[in-house]
Amino acid sequence: MAPSKPSQTAQSSAVLSLWKAYNENTSSRLKTVDAFLVFLMLSGVAQFLYCVLITNFPFNAFLAGFASCVGQFVLTASLRAQVNPQNRSEFKEVSPERAFADFALGSIVLHFFVYNFLG
Amino acid sequence: MWAKCTGDSVLVILEPKLQKDSFSKFFSGLEEKGYELTFRSPKDVKPAVIEYDEAKFSHVILFAPESKSFAQDVTPQSLVTLLSKHTNLLIALSPRQTPFTSLAAEFSLTLPPPGTPLISHFPTRNEPATVIPVSVAPSDILSPGLSPVWFSGVPFAYQNNPLLVPILNAPAESFASDSESDLGADALVDATDKGGEGLWAGSQLGLVAGFQALGGARATWVGGVELFSDEFFQKDLPGGGKPGNEQFASDVAAWTFQESLALRIDRVEHHRVNETVPGQTYTTNDQVVFTAYISRFNPVKSTWEPYSGIEDLQLEFTMLDPHIRTALPPVRGAPGKYSVTFRAPDRHGVFKFIIDYKRKGLTHLHSSTVVPLVPPRHDGYPRFLSAAWPYYVGAISTSVGFLLFSALWLAGDDRASAKKSTKTE
Repeated sequence: MAPSKPSQTAQSSAVLSLWKAYNENTSSRLKTVDAFLVFLMLSGVAQFLYCVLITNFPFNAFLAGFASCVGQFVLTASLRAQVNPQNRSEFKEVSPERAFADFALGSIVLHFFVYNFLG
Repeated sequence: MWAKCTGDSVLVILEPKLQKDSFSKFFSGLEEKGYELTFRSPKDVKPAVIEYDEAKFSHVILFAPESKSFAQDVTPQSLVTLLSKHTNLLIALSPRQTPFTSLAAEFSLTLPPPGTPLISHFPTRNEPATVIPVSVAPSDILSPGLSPVWFSGVPFAYQNNPLLVPILNAPAESFASDSESDLGADALVDATDKGGEGLWAGSQLGLVAGFQALGGARATWVGGVELFSDEFFQKDLPGGGKPGNEQFASDVAAWTFQESLALRIDRVEHHRVNETVPGQTYTTNDQVVFTAYISRFNPVKSTWEPYSGIEDLQLEFTMLDPHIRTALPPVRGAPGKYSVTFRAPDRHGVFKFIIDYKRKGLTHLHSSTVVPLVPPRHDGYPRFLSAAWPYYVGAISTSVGFLLFSALWLAGDDRASAKKSTKTE
């Protein structure tokens, strides 16, 4: 909680304006990406807490589950960076279709490894 | 039994001073048991005990307690060689110093100074003080309830050696002395006052001692050869009655020639529970059954018979250290069979099933079987444990999320690109 009222209002207004700007300026596509990222992060945190607080047995299952979240997060974040119109100057030669194909292939390979390691 | 396998040949090295006839009962007793005796005097060259590096006889009786010179093939070294070739020895000593006096020390027997026989003035008797009736302590080697035996000769002190098997000990009131008269009594009293230094007396002295070599051969040392003589077999005891010499001599010879208390492991088996074929490898935490079949030689029938009388047999499952040491009890209703079921340790490596049973007087039993103990194979583990469901759910939800996201992405493509195109225009 913020110590004084003006700073609290300033802070909340900053958050609000950030949220507003995000809602207005982000395409629905990137919002889908962001929702997926948030879901992956929460899933990873839940598994990590389960491992730390309850049991890490069997450890290979934990590694597989956690790595699938982390790996999928990294791939999705990369996709987001490549398809974001604001980064077009950085990824001139990578079309959004190509980026999604990379992402899909990477994910399929990742899940292949995850399920091999899970049992 | 090795003796019966290698033949019943016995070489008797008898010194000329001792008449063969004066031991006729002992020797004929051996012949009745089926032994073939070959006699030879200490200085004879033939028959040799070792020829072409091979022991020519299964057993050697050395009744030459006063001979100082022997043929070249009978030396302390050659006797030790014989022992390592599984030949059994029965060696008689006397108060005189001979080449074999020093050999006794190699068997952890310390002899008193030369010329000091065992003397006892009790019980009162007509015989000289050096001819002593010795009561026999019960022992596995000897028949139960033996009468006292006549003994005349030299005692020895036991050193601390686990391979020694005392068979007959001196009477408590006996002592070793160089004089039969009471002139030596002062020296004895002096020795006692000095805390027993130089004192050769009491029931801790041995008269007959067995020694079982690591290879299984047995050597018996007897303080006086007269113990086996016909004279002592028949001489009445001071209180009347026949002495136990004849049976005692027969028992000692039977033990020495590996007739009595001879055990062997016929075979060992091992397999998993509910299987019969021995496993090529065992997996950690397997339930393993180990079985040993043990026989004991029956001298009456000259055969090996299954023997279930060992109560303290142990099995070790060893990788450097015994990871498991467990009792190996006899199985009821199955003679000679000893079996135990145990859980293999949770440790992989090259393990051995080891039976190592060493008891005084009994043949040492040793058996070692190497088996590899491996961790479970990749499909040998339990899978899909309930504890891991959060992880499984995490992985599955990631995949479902990926599919869902891909579907949304592909479905939303048109609309998004339309939006984008309108924006850019």
